[in-house]
Amino acid sequence: MKIRNWKNPIVWLVMLVFSGCVEPYFPEVKESASSFLVVNGFLNANGPTTIQLLRTQNLNETGTPPAEVNATVFVESENGERYGLHETDFGTYVHPNLQMSSDSKYRLYIRTRSGSEYASDYVEVQVTPEIDNVHWRAVGDEVKVYIDTHDPLNNSQYYRWEYEQTWQFRSALPTTLLYERGTIRYRDQRDMPINLCWKTSFSNTIELASSENLSTDVISDYHIFSIPAGSESISIRNSILVRQYTLTRDAYQYWGIVKKNTENIGTLFDPLPSQQHSNIKSLSNPGEVVIGFVSAAFVQEKRIFIDKDELPSEWRPNFASCGTDTLMLSEGNIRDYFEGGYQMPVSEIFPPSGSMYPIGYTYAPRNCVDCTTQGTNVKPAFWE
Amino acid sequence: MTHFYRAFLLVVLCCMITALPVHAQQRDEAPLISGSFRNMTFQDFAQRLETRLPYKFYFEQVVGDSITVDLEVDGEPLNLVLAQILKETDYKFAITEQRQIFITRQSAIMTSLPSNFFKDEEKARRSSQLATPAYLPQQQNNKKRIQSEIKLYEIGTPNRSNTGRANLAGTLRDAGTGEPIIGAHIYIESPSIGTASDQYGYYSLSLPVGRHELNIRAVGLKNTKRQVVLHSDGKLDIEVEEDIRTLKEVLVEAEKDRNVTGLQMGMERLDIRTIKQVPTAFGETDILRVVLTLPGVKSVGEGSTGMNVRGGSTDQNLILLNDATIYNPSHLFGFFSAFNPDVIKSVELYKSAVPARYGGRLSSVLEVTSREGNKKQFSGAGGIGLLTSRLTLEGPIIKDKTSILVGGRSTYSDWLLKKIPNKSFSNSEASFYDINTHISHEINDKNSLYLTGYLSKDRFKLAADTLYRFQNQNASIKWKHNFHNKLYSVVTGTYSHYGYNISNEENAVNASVMDFGINQTGMQVDFNYFPDSKHTLDFGASAIRYEVNPGSLVPNHSESLIKADKLQQEKAIESALYLSDRYDISQKLSVSAGLRYSLFTALGQRDVLQYAPGLPMTLNTIVDTVSYGSGKSIATYHGPEFRLSARYVLSDNSSVKVSFNRLRQYVHMLSNTATMAPTDTWKLSDSNIKPQVGDQVAIGYYRNLRANTIEFSAEAYYKWMQDFLDYRSGANIIMNHHIETDVANADGKAYGVELMLKKASGKLNGWISYTYSRTMVRLNDPTVSEVINRGEWYASNYDKPHDLTMISNYRFSQRFSTSLNVTYSTGRPITLPLAKYYDGSSNRILYSDRNEYRIPDYYRVDLALNIEGNHKIAKLAHSSWTVAVYNLTGRKNPYSVYFKSQGGQIKGYKMSIFGNPIPTITYNFKF
Repeated sequence: MKIRNWKNPIVWLVMLVFSGCVEPYFPEVKESASSFLVVNGFLNANGPTTIQLLRTQNLNETGTPPAEVNATVFVESENGERYGLHETDFGTYVHPNLQMSSDSKYRLYIRTRSGSEYASDYVEVQVTPEIDNVHWRAVGDEVKVYIDTHDPLNNSQYYRWEYEQTWQFRSALPTTLLYERGTIRYRDQRDMPINLCWKTSFSNTIELASSENLSTDVISDYHIFSIPAGSESISIRNSILVRQYTLTRDAYQYWGIVKKNTENIGTLFDPLPSQQHSNIKSLSNPGEVVIGFVSAAFVQEKRIFIDKDELPSEWRPNFASCGTDTLMLSEGNIRDYFEGGYQMPVSEIFPPSGSMYPIGYTYAPRNCVDCTTQGTNVKPAFWE
Repeated sequence: MTHFYRAFLLVVLCCMITALPVHAQQRDEAPLISGSFRNMTFQDFAQRLETRLPYKFYFEQVVGDSITVDLEVDGEPLNLVLAQILKETDYKFAITEQRQIFITRQSAIMTSLPSNFFKDEEKARRSSQLATPAYLPQQQNNKKRIQSEIKLYEIGTPNRSNTGRANLAGTLRDAGTGEPIIGAHIYIESPSIGTASDQYGYYSLSLPVGRHELNIRAVGLKNTKRQVVLHSDGKLDIEVEEDIRTLKEVLVEAEKDRNVTGLQMGMERLDIRTIKQVPTAFGETDILRVVLTLPGVKSVGEGSTGMNVRGGSTDQNLILLNDATIYNPSHLFGFFSAFNPDVIKSVELYKSAVPARYGGRLSSVLEVTSREGNKKQFSGAGGIGLLTSRLTLEGPIIKDKTSILVGGRSTYSDWLLKKIPNKSFSNSEASFYDINTHISHEINDKNSLYLTGYLSKDRFKLAADTLYRFQNQNASIKWKHNFHNKLYSVVTGTYSHYGYNISNEENAVNASVMDFGINQTGMQVDFNYFPDSKHTLDFGASAIRYEVNPGSLVPNHSESLIKADKLQQEKAIESALYLSDRYDISQKLSVSAGLRYSLFTALGQRDVLQYAPGLPMTLNTIVDTVSYGSGKSIATYHGPEFRLSARYVLSDNSSVKVSFNRLRQYVHMLSNTATMAPTDTWKLSDSNIKPQVGDQVAIGYYRNLRANTIEFSAEAYYKWMQDFLDYRSGANIIMNHHIETDVANADGKAYGVELMLKKASGKLNGWISYTYSRTMVRLNDPTVSEVINRGEWYASNYDKPHDLTMISNYRFSQRFSTSLNVTYSTGRPITLPLAKYYDGSSNRILYSDRNEYRIPDYYRVDLALNIEGNHKIAKLAHSSWTVAVYNLTGRKNPYSVYFKSQGGQIKGYKMSIFGNPIPTITYNFKF
């Protein structure tokens, strides 16, 4: 936040009035007696289906959410065909390829280890139109990413998107040196590269849009997310993958409520939280709260790249504050400094008189030097 | 001696003003004169009479020389003769008991002291019989009104019988401006008979024939009295002087014993003087903010002027500005009320026992009356505050007959927003203005005409892409006709318009303008009839025509793909007949019984969706669409509304009152936010949306202590509400072609106890009120909608059980006073997150049952210093400074509590709007 005019008394007055309007708040909420089943994922008609079963946590609990392990999970069609899902990780149940037909309806069935049974409503498999375009514009001090799509059949109307970003980045302090068994040498081809890496992040917002109000089924320039100007993710090259799938009206409403309840509340005119109605019901205990909404759809994907060259030239990446310290060989021992790998050498220091043997090294913490602490140095298959 | 001096001064003063001819006096005792007085000076005439009669003349030399007498009389009384002589001149005469004749210029001198002046009843009676200037109908008075406290006014024609009752009526006016005084108490003490002046300043009293001392008490005006002898029905218009000294008192004695003796319960009247001293956030006097301090009136939070009266929702208040309905009473996100304080005269709020004259809303009637404008001279008033300024000009068009008042107010908050170093504020715009006009014209003694107009416009833009504009337009015309003392009628025509539009221009594809508008045209005829001292009858009829444009969406860019859409227009007529009688059965017991019968018809042209009976209305249960032609009735609802109340006086200073009333409401506000927002739309009842019906019983105990200086009241009420609108989860209220599928008819109940202790006068004055109240909602009918909270009763959004308010004012001196307000209330209910869960990419939250928890309690202290300029009456401009600190303790009262999922983490936030002490300074002037 830039204060333009500190000396202006009006600014002070206004700051006095409006500052501290919003502050963190931790209400006392009664400990909820039971923890409710959470069903994540959707039925993918053209790819692997991953269903994650978790339990809710009290707000003040920390740690990873408890998983519902050893459950029986299958997808069932209206005429009785069943496709079992296999637990690959704690609470994660996968089917490699559900051959679902857009003529039939399917539901998700779950029986937990303790014997409670749950089933979703039968849902139609939604056909998703192709993504027309994923494009971006540098607006102000951020890159805004937009999506365009349309359904020539005018059937889709309700859309949801998920996206992931993969980007290339350099460590803050590139090095040509390697500490190995008490000595420092130059890196070569055989050494693991630690200056250039890739990192991936997944969307954590619910992106929805509808063409309900439009005369044709067109979504134009839907702003899906932004990347701030100084972000590391656009310091070299960024790749964005967008997944699109069509929702039913009920699913659209459910996700709209979830989004509203958690992303959008708090300004003067925002609506109050509303109750979210899952299409998954407990068969054993009809009143039980279940979280999640099962949809089935064909998924469409599109990937684009953003290069640093295409961005405004004045944008500079904000690197983590990484400084170097100096180790003079006359004062310390290499092994003491670098054994264990918490610190890494960055460059050599030569005497002013000139010599081919360094008299010391600059060094920095590992996460400033080794990019594999933040990402992977394995080039993704799609990287061009 | 000072007594005498003051009395003498008053006598002289009132003589100067009243300029009454005195020829009607002394009919019995005046000697008869015969003779020819041809072409002589007055001097000679006087000398001749002095020789014949035992009278002595007193006059200035110039009188004696300038007046010529030329007449012939035969046995005519002295006073008539003198009157005839002085008829063409501007001299007056007076004859004393001691047979002295005074000739004075312009006005006759008073020849006796007031009856009770020497506390000598006998002497007083004699002197009053002797020499009181008789009161004459005002048209002969050249419009000068009577202002003497000590003069004795004879009303009507004397007849021999000294028994029976007679009616006395008239208008109370402000001596300075000629404006009528509303709600002044006018009474005699023995026997105790009194009434309050109505909104035209009119009063009508039925009193025993004979001599009375009429007491007049009004807020901010000098307490005064009139001596009258009532012979038969007659009129007495009274002018009362402004009491500058009490300018900053909270409540003056106007309401002194109305608390106990008045029949009305659950009613509060606030005068603008009271309102002006309550500190507000931006230093701008705010009527609604003060109304919110009254017991039984609440709001969901600061920055919201929507009020909840006795557990009712914000759309259940009938807000009238000069009888025209105001649909959105707020400006600038609700931080300012729509009423310009310089233009407003008084505010009346009915919480229970709503008079039969009013109808159409369930919870309350808030009647805001604007001033009429100064009928005597041009004047103005204004104020300069941090965010707004205002100016009001007023004056006579025809002196004492026609006046005009024009008031305007505007804000300059835009530049302030620009200074805020926060992008979402500095990209915002906010501005508003409002204009009031009032023309009042006294056609003649029996007919008055009032024209008022009101226009307000708001415009604000949040974070640079969406522009909101809304406006109120109101006009009313009133014609008041006095048939006679006991009957008058008022014919009112009103027009109200509220509309808003929202334009979105950020993205060409979605660029659009959304419009909403409601028009209301109304006609009402009211009669007030005072047949005798025991009965007061009100009756009348009204009709309102509604036209609603529920929404239209139009693309406003050539590339826009927005589909132009328009919801069908809604039309309806609401009419009503009413009759109510107030009957004073005995000194102790009074009852008021009223019946209002209202009829509502929704009219075509419209296509109406029909839903399968016995199932919730959803898109899947639509069975048919029926088209109705223009003017065809779609649905009709009607029903009686009973308004009953009674008062029983227990002792001189205590009473018990009970009331029952039923109200019906045919228009509904659609809003899915807790506060009143400009995007709220209004919906008329139709075949799918039933009208709301509310019943309320209330009982109260009233007691005045310490010679009526302290009032105590305790009221308890229980209220049932049927079919008010609540929302289904995820309701969409904007541009919805089938809104009935997103709302649900809910049941409501509310109950509470309100205690109030008020000290109306003295150096320290103010009130303390405590309210315990609950308001609950239930959505339990699966054939109507989804069941919320398993069909149990749950607290409504504005359920705040405990509420304590203190409004106090201490006057250090006549020019310096302080106000201290303390407000405490339970936090409002909120739906809180119960648990968190991970949805595969982010932590999200699961909410509790609707309104299961509460936000922290609300507590605020405000302090204001009022500094008056000196009180010289003759001064170019009277000015005052108000320095105030709002939220003195800087408590961060939460307006809202919410949780957000940010970067995969759930964070709870508490938003307070005024989280710091806010100092303000306002300069007010009046000229």
